[in-house]
Amino acid sequence: MGQPVTYIQAINQAMHEEFARDPKVFLLGEDIADGGVFRCTEGLRDKFGEERVIDSPLAEAIIIGACTGASLVGMNPIAEIQFADFITPGVDQIVQNVAKLRYRSAGAFQPHLTIRICTGGGVGGGLYHSQENAAWFAHEPGLKIVYPSTPYDAKGLLKSCIRGPNCYLYFEHKKLYRSIKEELPAEDFTVPIGKAAVRREGTDLSIFTYGYMVQVSLQAAERMAEKGVSCEVVDLRTLLPLDKETILASIKKTNKAAVVHEDKKTMGMGAEVVSIIQEEAFDYLDAPVWRICGPDIPIMPFSPPLEDAFLLNPDKVVRELEKLAAY
Amino acid sequence: MAGKGAKSSASAVKDQPRPKSAEPAREGELSKEQLLEMYTLLFKCRQVDERARLLFRQGKFKGNFYSGVGQEATHVGTLYGCRPSDWVGPSHRDMAAAVVKGAPVRDIIAQLYACQASPDRGKSTPAHFGHKDYNIITPSSTIAAQWQLVTGVAFGLKMQGKNDICFAYCGDGATSTGAWHEAVNFAGVHKLGILYVVQNNLWAESVPLRLQSVAKNLADKAVGYGMPGVVVDGNDLLAVYRVTQEAVRRARAGEGPTLLECKTYRWYGHSEIDPAKYRPKEEVEEWKKRDPLARMEKFLRDEKILTDEKKAKIEAAIKKEIDEAVEFAEKSPYPDPREAFEHVYGEE
Repeated sequence: MGQPVTYIQAINQAMHEEFARDPKVFLLGEDIADGGVFRCTEGLRDKFGEERVIDSPLAEAIIIGACTGASLVGMNPIAEIQFADFITPGVDQIVQNVAKLRYRSAGAFQPHLTIRICTGGGVGGGLYHSQENAAWFAHEPGLKIVYPSTPYDAKGLLKSCIRGPNCYLYFEHKKLYRSIKEELPAEDFTVPIGKAAVRREGTDLSIFTYGYMVQVSLQAAERMAEKGVSCEVVDLRTLLPLDKETILASIKKTNKAAVVHEDKKTMGMGAEVVSIIQEEAFDYLDAPVWRICGPDIPIMPFSPPLEDAFLLNPDKVVRELEKLAAY
Repeated sequence: MAGKGAKSSASAVKDQPRPKSAEPAREGELSKEQLLEMYTLLFKCRQVDERARLLFRQGKFKGNFYSGVGQEATHVGTLYGCRPSDWVGPSHRDMAAAVVKGAPVRDIIAQLYACQASPDRGKSTPAHFGHKDYNIITPSSTIAAQWQLVTGVAFGLKMQGKNDICFAYCGDGATSTGAWHEAVNFAGVHKLGILYVVQNNLWAESVPLRLQSVAKNLADKAVGYGMPGVVVDGNDLLAVYRVTQEAVRRARAGEGPTLLECKTYRWYGHSEIDPAKYRPKEEVEEWKKRDPLARMEKFLRDEKILTDEKKAKIEAAIKKEIDEAVEFAEKSPYPDPREAFEHVYGEE
């Protein structure tokens, strides 16, 4: 094991190592060549040159379109979307080309790329630098969506995406960038796509969550333990496809479940997790599945008390978990 | 450069420079055989399209068909002499591009029939012909989305130091989309090897050009992206071919993209279910008089290259190929319903 690294350092390391491993890897995005607004791409241009670390025009559709097309002739692209809020101009490419080209050509054309998307709130980013919108894309078979919550997963999942044959949306939470550290193995490793991780074992109820909310849920679980309730925390890690096996194994053990996510409640990832549970583990349920989610308001407001009102925190999660435990 | 190339067919050919390189079909003077070959391709595009219309009206295949009759010179003129390793990003009205790129007619008809033998195994509609073996990208219906993809292909080719190039096609309506402008701008910035071909047929479905853009020429948009914008009579096969040569030279030499506006016209409705009553009859008749196929035929007859006998031979060969293609497609079964669930992901 090496020195502890932050989540953002883990992403940076993954890119450095994959750039070195595969000469077909390149990165295209806004403000990336000089290190990026969060310093996520630090050092890449100096090491690998501006031919491979390319500042794009301010145009998200062509960032994604150019990467998709380049992958058809053997390149291995990483597209960076600086803020998830700005992905909207590129949605046509993601939904109509990235997700569908392999299918509509019956596998003749096999686009593969990784789209890194900085997401999430809680850093005072305001309306258009805080959105968490991974769920928009979870309705699009043809895409794979990963969302690491730890430095280990950040590195291992990014490597799996870059080495994989599919089109990956890789969401990275900006509040995690520097808030957690972890020692990582010195040797090369990957994290499998499509596998959830049990972050904390428990017996009384299961919490299904992802992204920054894994940290919040772990804190809430700790507080619940003090109250005598044993919570299992399952980090979904891959949102498309969901790891049904791990979800069902957990609910069959605990018989109660909550889904916790930062994103808005209605039609969010939680709704899908709830559906899987009721379809495939209905007889195991001792309570309705709780959804502890962001509010159904258009966007995360800016003023600190308003932002706090939007975001979940351990207090809010504990309040709901207490109700679930008492049900 | 606007206006360049809008000369008559005859002078366009005589103005060709003497051969300079090992690529005679591209840079050299066109031989009689090559002229005849271009005519044959044009004729073939027309015949395949007309047969497709007939087959649709006979109920032989479902969905819809978007005829490109009247616009074929834009495909033959730009793609004639291209390399097999070059790439094509077609839109929904560009079946002719596939013919010129060399895709077998039987694959094209099979695609209309949505049968097992179709290159896309029945996944896409008759408007979305693609073929990996010929580097023709299966398009999406969101207009100009294909420009983004094929621009990306040009980007990938350039990064690998290859001088294969790309040909992108769209209609006048596409020039209003953000996707179009983002793609063209990006290609300008990176000096990509790509020829953007706008087939300005004056109508985007039922919307007239005056409500699409008030630019004098759509090619003028190239100025904003630092590349040549060339206007050409899209119904003059040899004029299209001639202006393409400079664009192709630029693209292969790494000098960057060119935006080519072909002024042309679609003879029929937006699709086979569109009677196109929004267009004045006189306008349609006027454009039919500028039929690219009849013009090329007249030129070849004037030059004593084409005779009745030769034409009959060409026509018979095309008819035979199409007949065999239709027979092939009709014999091919529909795909197994289970295939609906395939080709979603690659194996990790």
